[in-house]
Parts: sequence; structure tokens; C-alpha cells
Amino acid sequence: MDFGSFLSALTPLNLLFALFGVAAGTIIGSIPGLTATMAVAVLVPITFSMQPASALILLGAIYTGAIYGGAYAAILLNTPGTPSAIATTFDGYPMAKRGDGDLAVALACFASVFGGLVGAFALLFLAPPLSKVALAFGPVEYFWLSIFGLSLIASLSNGNLAKGLAGGAFGLILSTVGVAEVSADIRLTFGSQTMIGGFGVVGALIGLYCIPVLIDLVAVPDRHLKVEQGVQSVKIKPAFLIALNSKFNLLRSSVIGTLVGILPGAGGSVAGLVAYSEAKRTAKPHQKFGEGEPDGLIATESANNATVGGGFIPTLVLGIPGTPPDAVILGALLVQGVRTGPALFQSGGGSIAYTFIYGLIIATVLMLPVGLIIGRYAYKSIVSIPKAVLVPTVAFMTIIGTFAIRNSVSDVVIMILLGVFGWVVGRFGFAASPIVLGLILGPIAEQGFVQTWIIGSAIGDLPGMFFGRPISQAIVAFTVLSILYPIFAARKHKRAESNSEQVS
Amino acid sequence: MNSQPVNTKPNVMGSLCVSLLFVLVGAVTLFDTLSYSDVDSKVFPRAAAILLILASVVSIVLTLLKPVADEGFGSGAWWRRALLISAMLIACLLMPKLGFVTSSAVAFLGALLAAMHDQWTARTAFVYIVSGFIVVGGFYALFQFGLNVPLP
Repeated sequence: MDFGSFLSALTPLNLLFALFGVAAGTIIGSIPGLTATMAVAVLVPITFSMQPASALILLGAIYTGAIYGGAYAAILLNTPGTPSAIATTFDGYPMAKRGDGDLAVALACFASVFGGLVGAFALLFLAPPLSKVALAFGPVEYFWLSIFGLSLIASLSNGNLAKGLAGGAFGLILSTVGVAEVSADIRLTFGSQTMIGGFGVVGALIGLYCIPVLIDLVAVPDRHLKVEQGVQSVKIKPAFLIALNSKFNLLRSSVIGTLVGILPGAGGSVAGLVAYSEAKRTAKPHQKFGEGEPDGLIATESANNATVGGGFIPTLVLGIPGTPPDAVILGALLVQGVRTGPALFQSGGGSIAYTFIYGLIIATVLMLPVGLIIGRYAYKSIVSIPKAVLVPTVAFMTIIGTFAIRNSVSDVVIMILLGVFGWVVGRFGFAASPIVLGLILGPIAEQGFVQTWIIGSAIGDLPGMFFGRPISQAIVAFTVLSILYPIFAARKHKRAESNSEQVS
Repeated sequence: MNSQPVNTKPNVMGSLCVSLLFVLVGAVTLFDTLSYSDVDSKVFPRAAAILLILASVVSIVLTLLKPVADEGFGSGAWWRRALLISAMLIACLLMPKLGFVTSSAVAFLGALLAAMHDQWTARTAFVYIVSGFIVVGGFYALFQFGLNVPLP
């Protein structure tokens, strides 16, 4: 602990940078198509002329704000503002639809701040030892982690596992379109140059989540969100009480987010999905995940913001970026002349590292008032804008957001067509979430699988490679548990119900 | 009193069609893997294709054995849905020729007409069209000049 660094982070200029960063990140993250990586990358050049610690504080604040900002669009429009907010749509949008959008926005803010603080404190106190976790994860662990994420399909299938599995497998196939990552074969493009780049995850997310909502909205004259009595403010006190009641879920999800954030390449979307899966697995019988359960929202939002601090652990200690925005920040650090490594936390570089960490903590705390204020206006705007203006505005945002990712009109066309496809299949019980899950986790699963296969074949021990390592065994056990537990729980619940009926 | 018999047979045609489409996608994927030169490229798409075919076949069997009525396309105006999607697609096709602002205005106008369920008045027409200009112009300025995204 370095008290001087804490005071350095508290200078009025650094506080101003933290405030500006959180506000700018939150607003950018709330626009579908603009990811946290893009928010950080766009604002990196303005940090080149700053002091290294101030630059880091600004970038960290933008990053943490953007991850939180993704929740607004997820809750109010069913469109993840950033990929980290995918799982936020599962319960956030149903909450908004039934009239609890104000509660959901406040809850997301509390959960994000808590998760962000857990990640930042892990970075402050445990960075060097926790960075070893990143090194303990090889291809096989990544493979099993992605399979663990895919096991969430079982609970996202709306009671029809076969349709969920089909959707997940379809998503996995979509993820293979384009150039194969390991061997560079061109796959499933059918000669089209456009398809060589594959399906962009963000464009696919916007298409599959947002376009179906727009198609449904225009068809009927009903209001887009249910509103009780008039909108006054976001529900701070009830949200705080719900978060307080769900403290174990908050803590567990934040720890999951921190640990997943440490793993290079995993990121907030995987963290949110894993935390959601765990929250659902351990849910009480009366909790209905996927239908507007606050605990689902708490799990995903605390986990994705915890990846910010978690992701900085391998970035600062090992020079290995934990998440894509960390890679951009690492580049900015190198431009500033800061050399990452364990020495950064000791003499010399220590003051910069600790000033940054304290700055991140301050930015996360500032996210509470900033997030609640922006959330209030975002919610008021969305519910009070006439549908005739909201629909074209969101449609336009989907176009510009998708276009901005790769400056490609083809990506926008694919996004729209994928959205129409998602709407059609969704009408017949094939939910979009398993498709998205397959699309996101497919590349991680394939790369891990193929690399493990190659290593296992080379050493002549495939079963040992896939099942012999302790971390893999633990993840496999969790995967089996998360698939079987809901089945056993449902049977137990059914048996208890039939017993009570017999008694009465 | 209405004496017409009620048709209790659930409509499952949509589910069956989508499942069959997924079987076809799986088959096409399997066929495509035959052209890959490296075995490492084949393993994963093949596994996913087989899973897709198996899950879709199970879905077909379950739909036939235990039919559950599809939600279907529901009520609502088809012309509004078609107008929304075609306006967005036309805007994409026009973008390289007409530029971003004009084509986006086409998408905005199409979506506005599709989503407008209230009575048009001179006031709403003015306010909504002006808000369209503000949204399109504002986002264009943000992306082009603020975020340095090169827009056509």
C-alpha cells in the first residue's frame, strides 16, 4: 500500500479525468455497436500528452464506464450495448417490459459498482499471485471453459432443450464461417468475398437481439415499455435493498468476473454468462430466471464490471492483456514509456501502478452517481419518446453501430438479415440466446479444442490432455453439475408438488 | 350459439420447417468440410453440424410426438414489418451511391412510417421529421468527426 499514490490519484485533475472518463465511457457503451474496446481506442490519442498516471486513470475510467453503459441498451432495448451485456438482456429486458425498467437500471448500477470494486481491490492486493492463474490456463482449460459457457444453453432453451441445442450448434457453425483460425482454410463462404471476414460478433448481437424487437414493435400500436404512473426517478432504495439481499450472489459473481477477467481473451461476455449460469444453478425454486429475475441482472452486471480490475492483473503484472480493451491500454502504456511486469508494483514504477489502481477505484465509486444520473435520463428518455421516433432512431443506431465496426455495408446487410432470421426462428421456439452463445464461444472452443487435440496427439495421450489436468477436471465437474442440477431440481420440485397434492 | 367444432390440433408446421432448415444447414456444412485441406479445420464444424442435425431431428420427433402449438407470427401489420426491413436494406444498398446521410434519412423515414400508429398531424409530421434530422445529423457528426469513423 502506498499512501502517496492514493493522494496522487485524488488530485483535482485526476478526479476530473475519472469523472469525464466514466461519463464518456457510459454514454459510448450505451450505444449499440460501440464496444468498450472502441471507446478506449477512440480516446487513447488524447492521453498521449498526459502524465502516465493521469492517462491510465482516464483510460481505466472510460473502460469501466463503457462496460456499465452497455447495460442501458440491454435493459431498455433488449440490445446489448457491448458484448459484455449479453446476459443482462436475459432478465433486464423482461424487467423493463413488465414496468421495472427504472429498478433494473438502478440495480445494474449498484451491481456494476460492487463488481468493479471487487475487481479493483483484487488488482490492488492480489495482482502478483493472481496473475499466476492466467499462466495456469492452457488451451484445454479454455476449451472446457467455453463448454461450461455453452452448458448455459440448457437453461436458456425455454423448456425445449433440443431447440436450444440446435440453436447453439447453429451459432457454432456461424462462428466457423470465414478463415479457420488454426489452419487458415476458407470455410462456408461459398465463394463469397464478403463472408471471408466471418460473422462479426457485435453485428450479430445487434441483429439477433435488436431487429426482432423492432419488428415486433412496429407491428402493433402498444407502448414499447410498460410504465407505472409516471416516471419520477430510478428506484434507488428498492434497488439497494435487493442488491443487499443478494449479497452472496453479488460477491460470487464479482469473484467469477475477476477470475475470468484474469484469463486472456475470455472477457466480460464470458464472465457474465458464467456468473449468470452459477446464479441460475443455485437459484431458489421461486426465482424465475429469464423472466425478469433481479438476481440474474445482479450476477451479470457485477461479473462484467469485475473483469475490468481482473483483466488489468495479467496486463500490468505479465504484460498479457486480459481483455481486448486491456490490449489497447497496454499499447498506450508502452507509448507512455511504462514497462509492465512485476517490477511495476515495486519500487520506481510502483507509484504509477498504485496511482492507477486508486484512480480505478475512485472512478468505480464515481460510477454510482454518474450511472444513476445517466440511467435516470436514459430511462426517462426511452419511456417518454414516442414509439414512432424511438423505432427509427434505434434502427438508425443499429445501422451506424454495425457499420462503424469494420466500415462495411455488407456487415449491416448481414446484421439485418440475421435479425430477420432470428425473429422468424424465435417465433417457433428457437431462442436467439443459444445462437449468440454458440457464436461467441465457438472460436474459443475451437481454438482450445484443436490445440489440445494437436498437443494430445503429439504426446500420444489425448484423454490425459482433455481430462487429466486438475483445472480441467474442476471445470468439467461444474459443467456436468450445471447441466444435471436443473433436471434434478425440477424433478425434486415436481415430486414435492405431487406429494403436497396427495396430502391435501 | 356457435356449433362449429373447435380445431384442437396444434399448429406445428413452423417448428417443423425451421428444424428441417437446420438439418439442411447441417448437411451443407458437412458437405463443405469435404473441401478443407487441413483436418484441423474439419473437426469442429463437423462436430457442430452433427450436433445441429441430431438436435434438429430430435426436435422434429418431439414436435410430432408431443405437439406444442407454435407462437406463430402473431397479430400485427405485415406491411409495417416489411416496410421497416426493406427501408433498412434499401438504405444499405443506397449508401455507397448516395452517401451515409441521405441513405440513413431513407431508413429513418421508412422506419418512421412503419412505426407511426397515431394520426398524422402537421405538428407530428414536423416534429418527427425534424427529430429525424437531428438524430441522423447528430450521430453522423459524432461518428465522422468525434470518433473518426470514415462514413461514405
